Amino acid sequence: MLLLLSPWIIGFVAFTMGPMVLSFYYSFTHYDLLTSPHWIGLDNYRFMFGKLTLNGQPNQGDPFFWTSVQNTLWIIVFGVPLRIFFGIITAMLLTRPKRGVNGYRTLFFMPSMAPTVGASLVFVYLFNPATGPINQFLGHIGLNQPLWFFDPTWAKPALLILGLWGIGDAIVLYLAGLLNVPRDLYEAIAIEGANAWQRFRYVTLPMLTPVIFFTLIIGIIDGFQYFDQAYVSSTTASGGVGSPDNSLLFYSVWLYEQAFSYFHMGYASAMAWVMFVATMALTAVLLLTSRRWVHYGGGLS
Amino acid sequence: MRRTRLLALSSLAMLVVAAGCGGGSSSSSSSGGPATTLDKTPVTITMWDLWSGQEGKPFNDALKGFTKKYPWITVKQIVQPNTPNDTFDPNLINAINGGNAPDVAMPFGPDYIGQYCSTGLWQDLTPYMQADHLNINDFAPGAITYTNSGGKQCALPSLTDAFGLYYNTKMLQQAGLTPPKTMDELMADAKKLTVRNPDGTIKVAGFVPLNQWEELGPGDLANAWGAKWFDSSNKAVLGTDPGWAAALRWQKQLIDWYGYDNITKFFAANTNNEFNNSNAFQTGKVAMTFDGEWRTAFIKRGAPNLQYGTVPFPADASHPDQYGSSRVGGTIVGIPKGAKHPDQAWLLVKYLASDTNYLVQMANAVGNVPTTRAAIASPSLTLPPQFDVFLKAWVNPKSAFAPPLQAAGGGYANLLDTFEDKWQAGKIPDSQLESQLNTLDQNIDNQLTQGTAP
Repeated sequence: MLLLLSPWIIGFVAFTMGPMVLSFYYSFTHYDLLTSPHWIGLDNYRFMFGKLTLNGQPNQGDPFFWTSVQNTLWIIVFGVPLRIFFGIITAMLLTRPKRGVNGYRTLFFMPSMAPTVGASLVFVYLFNPATGPINQFLGHIGLNQPLWFFDPTWAKPALLILGLWGIGDAIVLYLAGLLNVPRDLYEAIAIEGANAWQRFRYVTLPMLTPVIFFTLIIGIIDGFQYFDQAYVSSTTASGGVGSPDNSLLFYSVWLYEQAFSYFHMGYASAMAWVMFVATMALTAVLLLTSRRWVHYGGGLS
Repeated sequence: MRRTRLLALSSLAMLVVAAGCGGGSSSSSSSGGPATTLDKTPVTITMWDLWSGQEGKPFNDALKGFTKKYPWITVKQIVQPNTPNDTFDPNLINAINGGNAPDVAMPFGPDYIGQYCSTGLWQDLTPYMQADHLNINDFAPGAITYTNSGGKQCALPSLTDAFGLYYNTKMLQQAGLTPPKTMDELMADAKKLTVRNPDGTIKVAGFVPLNQWEELGPGDLANAWGAKWFDSSNKAVLGTDPGWAAALRWQKQLIDWYGYDNITKFFAANTNNEFNNSNAFQTGKVAMTFDGEWRTAFIKRGAPNLQYGTVPFPADASHPDQYGSSRVGGTIVGIPKGAKHPDQAWLLVKYLASDTNYLVQMANAVGNVPTTRAAIASPSLTLPPQFDVFLKAWVNPKSAFAPPLQAAGGGYANLLDTFEDKWQAGKIPDSQLESQLNTLDQNIDNQLTQGTAP
């Protein structure tokens, strides 16, 4: 038994446990990769959250930590519910057609097969405010043409659209959930005279809650780790990581910058641990509240 | 005068070295240095570099001179991928820490030199240089600003970049203009040379003052006012040196004249075209642009019929002595800690940094500024006349690497970029510019403190 598990155990210890323990230790040190880490207590955490005294001088702390937190919360608060909303709507539409079902499903799933980096590059091109087809179209129908990835106000919405375009993986999950709803539930509620909205509200939605819950948790975790799209689009569109005006400086992006551009490995480790604790806490809260709204077990709850 | 004498001296030194090595059987021309006699046991040394693609072949050709000079040394080149977000240096640091250091490292930029020198990751070359009578002043005054950190000369330059103002000769002639020399003239000429579409958007831009535009940075504008980045105690002085506010106001005034949305759209239409043949200057979409010396080679390849000229980037009328200087810096070469054959590595470093034939051959092939005074004076240089501005900028005593190197690296410059994003878009009121620059100074100091935290 142990022998069969050993590849996993070795992998877990070497590539998950080990680095985690080490990064926990590094988070209390100054470590620049060049010299060996040395202990500075809670200074990294103090630097993250605000004021401290470093080398006998007052220090205002990380000027961009809260910017990155705000950006990350923005993409979670808007991105996750919208993905769930459009995911369910699209999946429901996909249960409708009688013919060519597989064709449609493939079509909607296809975007999520595109590599994130490639997709982000294409979106930067599509949303180019001067030459991109999106703004040319908006111009033709007489709408305002935002500067998209070149404007701090519109850069995140552009990424949101990119996220909704690649929604195929969620659609597949919802589709499976929808097709698993027992027919007899619909028959029962139809006998009671329910209309389409009531069928959705009292049968479809409750039966989908396990899938919604799953996509919610995964969505939040993905949101905390939001990196590729932001990194690629900000560096290809307007120049620097997180630009314009740090509107695309997400938590993971800032962590990466601290670690691999500035070599603040200790500080980056501290950031990683704060993210880990925040993710765990949020997931725990959701798990606790889930008992109230998530229905498991074939409609018997 | 001084320059000529130094030139003569260094070419003489070069000759002596060349003679000493070319003789074959004679021992090293150095004495009392790290290697008193040349060890001629056949040996293979490894080198990390980035010369690939179009530049790969010229480099390999130019490297043949080394093999000819030192036939017992085989150079094993490990060409690293040239990625937009520099992976060369992080990989190199890992290799050094992991005990797999190459004998010679040759990154395209000095961004990590602060860390390399201050932590000893790259070896101090001073003993070798003394033994071989090679002085950093043989290169140019600006050389020391990006090869030396904390008093340790842990790298040498090997070809560099320098910057100036390119102008479209036809457009200036048609407008009856001569190339601008002051920032006021640049502003006025930029306005005169701009052509707008009926809806106000920009068809041809006179000069694009955006921070994101190609090579232009706020430091390049501030250089026109002789602005300093740090004071003598290494505290940021962007808020207290009036040059910064002056440069930023100049920039904002021109941006506002175009209209921020218009100039941003113009930038967006040309983004990612800097290094291909759709380049805005090469295709006549901008009349004047701040660019590096390599553009001469790009124009030769991609727009051979373009009539253009180069001049130093203008200086403000209040700082005429800045005229002719520019940001400089480029490829560096050094010996990482743990190199297995440091003495032989030094021969290669010395060759790449100071061999006139090598530098001239490479300068001609890739269109970069050769870095020794001897190479600059070489009659074998076949660079176009427009290149002169950059040769002169390299040896200008006010030219320096920017943003200045810090032991914690160059990451602090990102803070200025973020500031620029806000300033250009008009999110910082003019009345708050100085106070916001003071805050920026604090943030820079903080970041540098964090970088060197206990």
